[in-house]
Amino acid sequence: MKKQYLIILLVAGLLTFASSCTKESGYKTLIITGQNNHDWKTSSPILKQILDETGLFSAEIMQTPGQGGDMSTFDPDFSKYKLVVLDYNGDSWSDKTNSAFVDFVTNGGGVVIYHAADNSFPGWKEYNEMIGLGGWGDRNEKDGPYVYYKNNVLVVDTSAGQGGTHGKRREFIVRTRMPDHPVMKGLPAMWLHGTDELYSLLRGPAKNMQILATAFSDSAAGGGTMRDEPMLMAITYGKGRIFHTAMGHADTGGGPAMQCAGFIVTLQRGAEWAVTGNVTQAVPFDFPNEAGVVLRPDFKGITLDEAFDKIGSYDIARSTKYLTCVQSNIRNAAGDAAKLLELEKKMVIVLDGKETTSGAKKLLLRELSWMGTDYSINSVKNLLSDPEVKDEAEYALARLQSGK
Amino acid sequence: MTDKSSRREFVKQSAKIVAGAVILPNIIPASALGKGGSTPPSDRIVIGAIGTGSQGMSNMRDFLQLKNAVQFVAVCDVDALHLEKAKETVDTANKNKDCRTYGDFREFLEKEKLDAVSIALPDHWHGIIYTAAVNKKLNVYGEKPICRTIHDGQTIVAAVKKNNIIWQTGSWQRSQPHFRHGAELAINGRIGKIKYIEVGLPDGGKGIGTPPVMDVPPELDWEMWLGPALKVPYRGVAHWDWRWILDYSGGQMTDWAGHHIDIANWGAGLEHTGPVEIAGSGVYPYEGIFNAPVEYDFLCKYANGIEMRVANAARQPHGMGATWYGDLGWIHVDRGNRIEASDPKILEEEPGDNEIKLYRSDNHWQNFIDCVRSGKQAIAPVEVAYRAISVALLGEIAMTTGETIKWDPEKEEIIGNQRASRLLSRPYRKPWELPSV
Repeated sequence: MKKQYLIILLVAGLLTFASSCTKESGYKTLIITGQNNHDWKTSSPILKQILDETGLFSAEIMQTPGQGGDMSTFDPDFSKYKLVVLDYNGDSWSDKTNSAFVDFVTNGGGVVIYHAADNSFPGWKEYNEMIGLGGWGDRNEKDGPYVYYKNNVLVVDTSAGQGGTHGKRREFIVRTRMPDHPVMKGLPAMWLHGTDELYSLLRGPAKNMQILATAFSDSAAGGGTMRDEPMLMAITYGKGRIFHTAMGHADTGGGPAMQCAGFIVTLQRGAEWAVTGNVTQAVPFDFPNEAGVVLRPDFKGITLDEAFDKIGSYDIARSTKYLTCVQSNIRNAAGDAAKLLELEKKMVIVLDGKETTSGAKKLLLRELSWMGTDYSINSVKNLLSDPEVKDEAEYALARLQSGK
Repeated sequence: MTDKSSRREFVKQSAKIVAGAVILPNIIPASALGKGGSTPPSDRIVIGAIGTGSQGMSNMRDFLQLKNAVQFVAVCDVDALHLEKAKETVDTANKNKDCRTYGDFREFLEKEKLDAVSIALPDHWHGIIYTAAVNKKLNVYGEKPICRTIHDGQTIVAAVKKNNIIWQTGSWQRSQPHFRHGAELAINGRIGKIKYIEVGLPDGGKGIGTPPVMDVPPELDWEMWLGPALKVPYRGVAHWDWRWILDYSGGQMTDWAGHHIDIANWGAGLEHTGPVEIAGSGVYPYEGIFNAPVEYDFLCKYANGIEMRVANAARQPHGMGATWYGDLGWIHVDRGNRIEASDPKILEEEPGDNEIKLYRSDNHWQNFIDCVRSGKQAIAPVEVAYRAISVALLGEIAMTTGETIKWDPEKEEIIGNQRASRLLSRPYRKPWELPSV
């Protein structure tokens, strides 16, 4: 019961306040890093930012000792956390820490396995059951089967061979395999991911594991397996839920793999699912699709206010994303007259603006033509005398006055 | 006609009538007309082409492959290079240099005396040019989807009815035996009562960003290409890629409605009606001038209880094609001669004497020519094409508004939603207007 109230409070908080105000009330999250063959000093703060940004999590970063250090000093109290995120690929932890972590998950703690964390701990049986599939670290047939899709059929392949490889970094299409899973619900069937390592030939126990999304490892960029390789996985272990993303190789500033809105949003959704078993976050309008990669250089999405702030200086050659944002808000209003009127009023402010570009007016007139009300009519009529946008104003007026 | 059984009965009856009609030898064989087994030129169908891009030329080749069926005499296109190629093809076929060329369809329609015209244009031109051609009492082979808006479609249908011409839509899958076989088994209840239909159309689209404004190539009449659509500067996108831009098309979803939705309707007896409720959502590009939905997924409910889900192939269990689900099993059809069923034995059956036999045509272009000669209805008539594209256009409206749309398939109106109703038509840029019927 308590958990449910907490969710309600959190969601209400998210709607009412800026996310910074709810920081302290989010699910306490521990990001473990400190050793990795990847740039963990870049990735861990970004993971924290991505999770905190939702307003659902309150994350802190904990570093293990460095390679060869005294691991007995690494003894986190997992019971303080709802979620543990592993950005770690390094020395074994102490037996005490291992068993505390197993207890944490067994008793219902949530886990996110991020990219090279699935390389870690090849000899730790319970950990490998939690990650489902892993790679490198001399993993081979003794560790479990390869699991992948071939011609849209799930294949569990026990053949001998090494676990883990990737070709040259490239953009690749991620394909949803379980559209009804809470993490994937409402996401496109296919989307283009920012340049990343495409982890392939992962193998492991694969128990209680669902493959949520795959990517086709083609040979064009070298090292391709010609299989649809698992990219997102959902695993249960005891009462715990583990979300495993094989994506997100950190480059300078995160790079395209971490800045990809698809990586960010699936991580946010996967983390929530790992904690609660559900996902309350709406799919943002900038979630990528097959038409192209969408990057969030600052790891944040565009807000509607920001879109209205910037759309007036719209230049098609610069970006169409502010219009895309407004259009998505119109669709999401789903015919709610009050919400639509609120949007219409904001659109009219831009339409009336002295500084507003003709390009922006043309776009807004097209939208207003069908969803506008009498509120827009005068502003639209005023534009009939503007030779730059006269056609669009006539178009809008014809529609606004139809069916009256 | 609101009564379920009467609609079904009507569909049955009309299917029988049509089937009965074509079984009779209703065309005079070519060999009977000319000496030496060929049709004399005077008996060939005199035809012209408006729109000679990739699809227009493909249709022209299909017509020319028919033995002594047509004689092309004139071509029309807004791209001079297209026009040159088309004239070359026609002149080669006619072994002369006489093919006349036009850049303006109005002049073409005014001057040419034809039996028929083959039209393949971007969707935003269909309303005006189809109606104008039909008003000239020309028999039309017209590409799908037959309209960009439902209002355009209604106008075209009205024009065809009034002028009593032969219309063939480019929904050529109807003239492939395996599509007909699947539809025939479905409509005859071989999988029981049809409850649900799955239509998978191509995935995606592509991103192009926003290419710079560039000089219009000298061969292209850009103003005429845009026609009734809002004016935009030329950015190197016209032929073929117009289908990713909502001003001219609804993307893959509307482009393919005239194929697999049409087939789905055929096998379910829905080709003379439409859904009563439509709801769904789309996935749109984030950046750039291509703005048609990259993914789409909507559910249509029909008055008789059938539900049809239309979505991009990656979302559908059977991928591309049409799948009818009855209470006894399913049948799936797709291109490449694909036909499958829950029980393969179903596919071995043929309809019995007292069952519905769907219209038989094994060559779509030949069927048009035969019907122009005989005056019989072609296999893909205009009303049926209008009903197929209506499904996708209503889906587009549901996706654009985010609302559940209520549609009256008899009155052909959206019920109780002014915003959505405005999307049933699209104002034309002056001076263009839809010809009156």
